[in-house]
Amino acid sequence: MIVRSAAPRDRAEVHERTDSRALETALTAWTLAPEPTSVHVTAAFAPAAREREWLRALACAGVRVSWSGDSIPATAIEVAARTDPAGGVRAYVAAPEGSNATLSDAVGLLDTVESTQGATALSLPVTAGALDLLVRGQHARAAAPDSILPRRVVVLGRAGWEGKFVMAALEERGWKVSSRLRVGPNVFVTQGTPLALDTARTGAVIALDSSAASHAGAIAAFERSGGGLVLAGDAPLAASLRALAPGRAGPRIAAASLSFASAAPRRALGFFPIVALASDAVPLESRDGRVIAAARRAGAGRVVQLGYDETWRWRLAGVGDAPAAHRAYWSAVVSAAAYRAATPIEPGRASDAAPLASLYADLGAPSVASAAPLQTGAGLRWWMFALLALLLLAEWTSRRLRGAR
Amino acid sequence: MTSFTFATAQYESGDWDSAPLVPPNIIDTIARYTEIQVTPAGVIVSLASPDLLRYPLVYLTGHLPVRFTEAERKQLREFLERGGMLFVDDHNHDVDGVFHKTATEEITRTIGEPKLLPNTHPLYSAFFKFADGPPTTSHELNGWGDNLVHKNLFAVMREGRIAVLYSSKDYSSEWGYHPEDKRFQSVDNTRFAVNIVVYALTA
Repeated sequence: MIVRSAAPRDRAEVHERTDSRALETALTAWTLAPEPTSVHVTAAFAPAAREREWLRALACAGVRVSWSGDSIPATAIEVAARTDPAGGVRAYVAAPEGSNATLSDAVGLLDTVESTQGATALSLPVTAGALDLLVRGQHARAAAPDSILPRRVVVLGRAGWEGKFVMAALEERGWKVSSRLRVGPNVFVTQGTPLALDTARTGAVIALDSSAASHAGAIAAFERSGGGLVLAGDAPLAASLRALAPGRAGPRIAAASLSFASAAPRRALGFFPIVALASDAVPLESRDGRVIAAARRAGAGRVVQLGYDETWRWRLAGVGDAPAAHRAYWSAVVSAAAYRAATPIEPGRASDAAPLASLYADLGAPSVASAAPLQTGAGLRWWMFALLALLLLAEWTSRRLRGAR
Repeated sequence: MTSFTFATAQYESGDWDSAPLVPPNIIDTIARYTEIQVTPAGVIVSLASPDLLRYPLVYLTGHLPVRFTEAERKQLREFLERGGMLFVDDHNHDVDGVFHKTATEEITRTIGEPKLLPNTHPLYSAFFKFADGPPTTSHELNGWGDNLVHKNLFAVMREGRIAVLYSSKDYSSEWGYHPEDKRFQSVDNTRFAVNIVVYALTA
């Protein structure tokens, strides 16, 4: 290796350049022909995963590889299965603010959104194959995970219209529901086995009101082990549930409107505003500066606090297909909190979820020309040669000095 | 939390207000046996009014022929399809009577035909246990009306739940007395009303 390092190169240095469109052809040429000294890719788009790996292989073979590209849109896509009996996935899309992001699957176009700051989330009921994101010519691709079979939901609270219609909404949506509703002192109407709270059988618990506090110990243990919890209405007023809640329940505020408008139907609902939000709580819904829904992690589980206590009025008196909207709303609330088992993606499924980030990871930062070389065999050879020369010089000096004495 | 409000249906035909003592008596019974928050006074709600959608359990009775207007039928259908429950009781206790014939016709036209409800239905164990199905009324035993003891109630089901509960037993007469008179009974005959309300609130 030392001999080879010291050996003069048998040909002149060759510096190659190409752009995104000609990259694949160039890669073949650079691999078949005598290897170039360095290659530089001027990229309008992040090279595909296969092309990046090829470039990495060249770099490992001693070719100096560099790239540049100021206009590559930073895109990323993440896909997670929805915890919903209806199935489907939730796609999180990141793209430069203001750009149009087009999402498609194996069948065709799914949706187009204008990207906002941060990620944009889309719920997709049905998808086929991997999801492809296209932003200003840049593709990103993510494989869809297997669907989740949601575990049952347990509803705890007093007998009342809210409990009845929340259960009806969830059951109509396909959730399996167990319940324990208080009717009198030590008198409960029970459906299923609601007090067996473990993540093997239960995905989420809905505490409709403060009467659920009598099960606070079991709820807290369930939460710590990864279960979901929805604290609705005045449930967080119970001291034993307060520690889990994202915030405190303030004094109840009457409905802002008496009629259900199609655009903002929940304005016709009274609610307990969520005040004194915990530092790790995330507001989910607010009205006139008051937080109505918020979420936080508690242990390994998630807690959603919902200020509404009369959503049944929306289902009964709302305009349009209010029952369907009410079903979807409650299903989404439960889905946000519910325990979800890991859903591994099948190996072998093609995925290139964040091409620009992967380009940085594979080839380092961009450079104007072929500046900072990657660790290559050529560099190593010159270092080895210098070291050898230094050692020979030291040996010669040593001998000379010994002779001088 | 929303209080339970007992609502009586008002309709244009017939005598919808034939049992004015039933609501206060049932309200008293609910307060007596349960912790359910109940509004002290009942309300009267027109079947044609959008206000019907504010009261998910509505009681309807009468002696005379029942013919819903188109507005009543439309509003009632929407109420039932959205999850409301209608309790209809034949104040005549007579399956050959005009109320029974017309009311069942109107229910069938609005939401579907009432079918026999098994006496093992959860309604009969929602609070008190009624192992033999609906409790017999004194009017049945006295031989009034059709001179029959009706062994079953009838119901129209939606999504596995009772949407319309139909009774030929004349609970409207059985429960139509002042609440304070319960003390003269060895067994409170309004207990089945608790089951109806608890079922409506929990099923």
